[in-house]
Amino acid sequence: MSAKIEVSFQLNGKQRELQVLPSANLRDVLRGEGMFSVKFGSASGETGAAAVLFDGKLASSDVILAAQADGHSITTVESLNTERELHPIQAAFAAVGALQSGYSAGAMVLGTMALLEQTSDPSESEIRDMLGGILDRETAYVKPVEAVKRAAAVLRGETVTGFEPMILTPLTDGKNAAIYDAKNKPPPGSGAVPRLIPSRDVPEMAVVGKPEVKVDAVRLAKGNPAFTDDIEPRAMLYCRLLTSPHAHANIVDIDDTAALALEGVHAVLHHKNVARIKYASGGQSWPNPHPHDQVSFDTKVRHVGDRVAAVAADTIEIAEEAVRLIKVEYEVLPAVFDEREAMLPGAPKIHDEVDTEEIFDADKNIVHEIKAQRGDVEKALASAPHVFEQTFRVHQVQQCPIEPHISIAWIDEDERMVIRTATQVPFHARRMVAPLLEMDIKDIRIIKPRIGGGFGAKQEMLLEDIVGHLAKATRRPCRLELTREEEFASSRTRHPQTITYRTGVDDDGKLVAQDMYVIGNTGPYGTHGYTVQTVSGMRGLSQYNCPNKRFHCDVVYTNIPVPGAYRGYGAPQAEFALEAHLEDIAIELGYDVIEFKRKNWVTAGSVIDIAPHLGERAVVDGELDEYPIVMTEGIEECVAQAMREIGWHRRDDAAWREPADRPHIRRGLGFAFCMHGTAIPFLDMGGCSIKLNDDGSFNMLVGATDLGTGADTVLGQIAAEVLGVRLEDIKVYSSDTDMTPFDTGAYASSTTYISGTAAMRAAEVARTRIKERAAMLLDVEQPCTIELRDRRAYAPDGSSVSMEDIALDSLHTQEQEQIMGTASYVSPDCPPPFAAQLVEVEVDIETGQVTVPKMVMAVDCGVAINPITASGQVEGGMLQALGYAHCEEFAYDDAGKMLNTSFGPYKIYRADEMPETVVYLVQTMEDSGPFGAKAVAEIPKDGVAPALRNAILNATGAAINDLPFTPERVWAALNDK
Amino acid sequence: MTVSMPSSVDETLRLLSDDPAATILAGGTDAMVEINYEHRRPASVVSLRRVNELATWSIDGGTVRLGATVPYVEIMNSELAAASPGLAQASRTVGSSQIRNTGTVGGNLATGSPAGDTIPVLAALDAIVEIASVRGIREVAVVDLIVGVKRTVLEPDELIVAIRFPVASGPQEFLKIGPRNAMVISVASCALVINQAERSVACALGSVSPAPLRCGDAEEFAAANIDWTSDGIRITDPRTLETFGSMVADAASPIDDHRSTAAYRKHGIAVMARRALTRATTS
Repeated sequence: MSAKIEVSFQLNGKQRELQVLPSANLRDVLRGEGMFSVKFGSASGETGAAAVLFDGKLASSDVILAAQADGHSITTVESLNTERELHPIQAAFAAVGALQSGYSAGAMVLGTMALLEQTSDPSESEIRDMLGGILDRETAYVKPVEAVKRAAAVLRGETVTGFEPMILTPLTDGKNAAIYDAKNKPPPGSGAVPRLIPSRDVPEMAVVGKPEVKVDAVRLAKGNPAFTDDIEPRAMLYCRLLTSPHAHANIVDIDDTAALALEGVHAVLHHKNVARIKYASGGQSWPNPHPHDQVSFDTKVRHVGDRVAAVAADTIEIAEEAVRLIKVEYEVLPAVFDEREAMLPGAPKIHDEVDTEEIFDADKNIVHEIKAQRGDVEKALASAPHVFEQTFRVHQVQQCPIEPHISIAWIDEDERMVIRTATQVPFHARRMVAPLLEMDIKDIRIIKPRIGGGFGAKQEMLLEDIVGHLAKATRRPCRLELTREEEFASSRTRHPQTITYRTGVDDDGKLVAQDMYVIGNTGPYGTHGYTVQTVSGMRGLSQYNCPNKRFHCDVVYTNIPVPGAYRGYGAPQAEFALEAHLEDIAIELGYDVIEFKRKNWVTAGSVIDIAPHLGERAVVDGELDEYPIVMTEGIEECVAQAMREIGWHRRDDAAWREPADRPHIRRGLGFAFCMHGTAIPFLDMGGCSIKLNDDGSFNMLVGATDLGTGADTVLGQIAAEVLGVRLEDIKVYSSDTDMTPFDTGAYASSTTYISGTAAMRAAEVARTRIKERAAMLLDVEQPCTIELRDRRAYAPDGSSVSMEDIALDSLHTQEQEQIMGTASYVSPDCPPPFAAQLVEVEVDIETGQVTVPKMVMAVDCGVAINPITASGQVEGGMLQALGYAHCEEFAYDDAGKMLNTSFGPYKIYRADEMPETVVYLVQTMEDSGPFGAKAVAEIPKDGVAPALRNAILNATGAAINDLPFTPERVWAALNDK
Repeated sequence: MTVSMPSSVDETLRLLSDDPAATILAGGTDAMVEINYEHRRPASVVSLRRVNELATWSIDGGTVRLGATVPYVEIMNSELAAASPGLAQASRTVGSSQIRNTGTVGGNLATGSPAGDTIPVLAALDAIVEIASVRGIREVAVVDLIVGVKRTVLEPDELIVAIRFPVASGPQEFLKIGPRNAMVISVASCALVINQAERSVACALGSVSPAPLRCGDAEEFAAANIDWTSDGIRITDPRTLETFGSMVADAASPIDDHRSTAAYRKHGIAVMARRALTRATTS
């Protein structure tokens, strides 16, 4: 190993002399010096998460050697953290909701500093150019751009007002379609401001529905050590994986002699020294769906990037060297990647082991067959006057959280295993990892700190078993973080599918039969294969009324990197096919596209009949006494607002569609109707406990996992509303399996609805006791007549006592007690949110290049508990959905090796490329949800691909049934039409 | 690993002479990626960050001399943008703002990636690369520098010190096609340089062959069919534009790969070349 060298540089204004390894990059050295705002996103610098100011210029510290900083000046966000108060730039990011996970917040704040040094009034394009160096999967850059503008204004000395939603009057009566009026222009204003259409059914509230600043804004804006990698136990070892270079191979032999002999290596684990215990890695409720087709280290590899071995060593460099020294002899087997080919006779059998149970047909690589039917589809199709059949192919993409998967495990002083890990499912991870480590659940503690984005990739027990095994083997803390390459090839992705619809329509334009056949590609392991494809069936057959429906799905093993959960969870695939299919039927039958869908879409009172027959707790056979019914919907209001915002009449404006000055451009507008679910009924459960402190504040413990979504804030708002206090009085902690109540985790659009109701109920329990004590102090007979508001308890006569006095009295004065409430919630309902998604497109008909200038989504998510965080969810969802539709794609060589395992070749949208986005929140009062809320997190993933596809069709006449819309695919379609 | 931080070209050359296996680190946007990923595990690194003379540029008469480590951001935002609009356009499409703050043309050339954005522009400019070693200076044309995918004629102890090319005397265009316009290794890129003083046309393609590709026949055809006047250049017959496009496409011999088919690449090149000439002759 090289000797250390001395470097001397200015760090945040102070001269520093440091001894560093010559090969050390600046990022690692700065983090070692406590500059936690500098984050790892990838080794190649393109995420920008490790940005610093190098002599005042924004530059990525990933690609600078620490030695190169010698004699220079380095600035990080920590330079702003000298006061408790936020710097105006940080305050602006907090104020407008620009911080979701906040993983890249430091970089954005620094970039803003550098930009505002150059110019006090930057243009939008200058701002976007600066942010273009910092990749973000969460905000779609909408609110960061707004934050920079706001910070500039503040620093120029201008007064800024609170960042609040724009309140609009409805265009409909809440039920019937509005008559479109081209002269009625949308309200002007920044797209960062959510448009809110209130419902008269929603009562006035103090905290809920308000644009509260997130409870975690300060820690994120300051870059405080909040994430998994920001805390290192002493004597921690660094771990690396050896992954498979082959798509399908038997491991004939592994020889770890040389690796173990390397100085500084503490353990090398593989199938020869780790017990073979079967499991399924998808983070789901007990019992995890079969088959349990994985083991920690197998004798066979089934995709390029599959686990072979893991090493723990004193440094990353030694671990990497040890990985290279492991000798593996493979017997390479034929592989198959396409789900259609995997089912054919002669395809290689991917699971030939004898110890995996409940594979539907291992010889055909069919892991599950899923079937559900309502009515008689064949009969209805046979007699339908119009029958249409269409096949769609949707591709593989990755969630791309900027923080990769990372887990740190250690054995504590009581011989218990503690795993601090970037997970969406801490409680599932605890239960699932226990048998693999041959430990009891009670001896495992999972800590979920701040997470830098997950989007489903972290709804998985992915690294926890490996660090657990290594910690057991070494009895030292062990840290494993995936590289960006591994995040692509060795974590989780979205399921590719081949989807065929057959639809029968009567002469009135009503659907009479819908038959949906899906071949779902679950890669080499089942994980979420069953549940994702059932959601495809549910979403693909729920949003239109139709008396006869059938879902048939083959979930198929292949040798691609493993698909799992990705925000939307089967819905984006299904809704792309569905909304494209119905668009084409409408055109074929001569209907206006929206009118045709309107004839058929569900409305309040519609029965969602197929849903109970699909899913983990599905009723496979027979009829139910009762079927779920749509209780609330703001569909027509969503459609009317979105149409006005995008200027729907331009579809008929020839001069706009074919601009005279740009003869190779065609413009179009596309629509998609979206419906999603809210949590999994009878299954998803969240718990919450709340206790009152001396000063009238509350500690709130939730198992729900905030990944940057704003869950902690929203749950805090709900509790504050119930308890009549301010959001700042609720100190939210999530999640730690030793401390917080159980929660199934952050998935299935469940947190606000399920965990939110748990928070509401826990607060109500505490409130009951607070009222009783207040009644005692105020000498009131009936505690139920007490009202809590403004941090006080009021008696009917107007007399009052402060929350603080109630707390002091209860804790210190008389009949002392801890006032606390604990509650949990599981729902029998799954109230659907609805949305209208509109997309504007420009197609270069010569090159096939697609450009999206604007996207509008109007969402009925019930009551948005926090309209700012809710609109942030919609914006970020649309960004991911646009990448899915347009440019993200796994590219493979013939042997199944992914070729584009870095950002750039794998293209995700950047700030200077994002279209204008506008979000409308159409309120409805969903009585089953906490203060009227439904879900919002996943529905923005559903409509962009079909709306863009339909816009391209509108612009050019080319109907494209495969994703994504790369220039070549569009060009080929233009040639074919 | 050792890291050297020389502060002059001479010192750099001596270091490279003593240790020809050393990895040269300029902006770091290519080399550091390999070091971080350990695709390349150099025993020694020579950082050019302190070699200030490499980060300077000058315009002398009709010639631009661009120091090898002038960052892209400087090319976009200084007088260089007027002297070399094509290079400025290509620089704007490189990476992200952070990459443009540190990435350099010298690094782009030394890496020799077929997808390097500035390379077709430099090829069309007939740029000359000044290469130094302790043995002296030699000059190589850009088209001769890169001989294969990530392969150059550079000797291990040699350093690119500067790139020379003529100040623009007429329109220059740079276009590329990718899944979207920026931060993507392009499916194909096209640079067009028109020299009004010499009444010549140069066209070069990127991403379609291992080395940058000049399109001689198409260039001569365009030069012969342009209406060269003192107040600008014109093409009167639209068929000339079409023919130019297809001649450029014929010069390319693209291949199928995981990004794109040869057929689409060829088509895209024809469109880009035609558009570049259209823009150049109507602006």
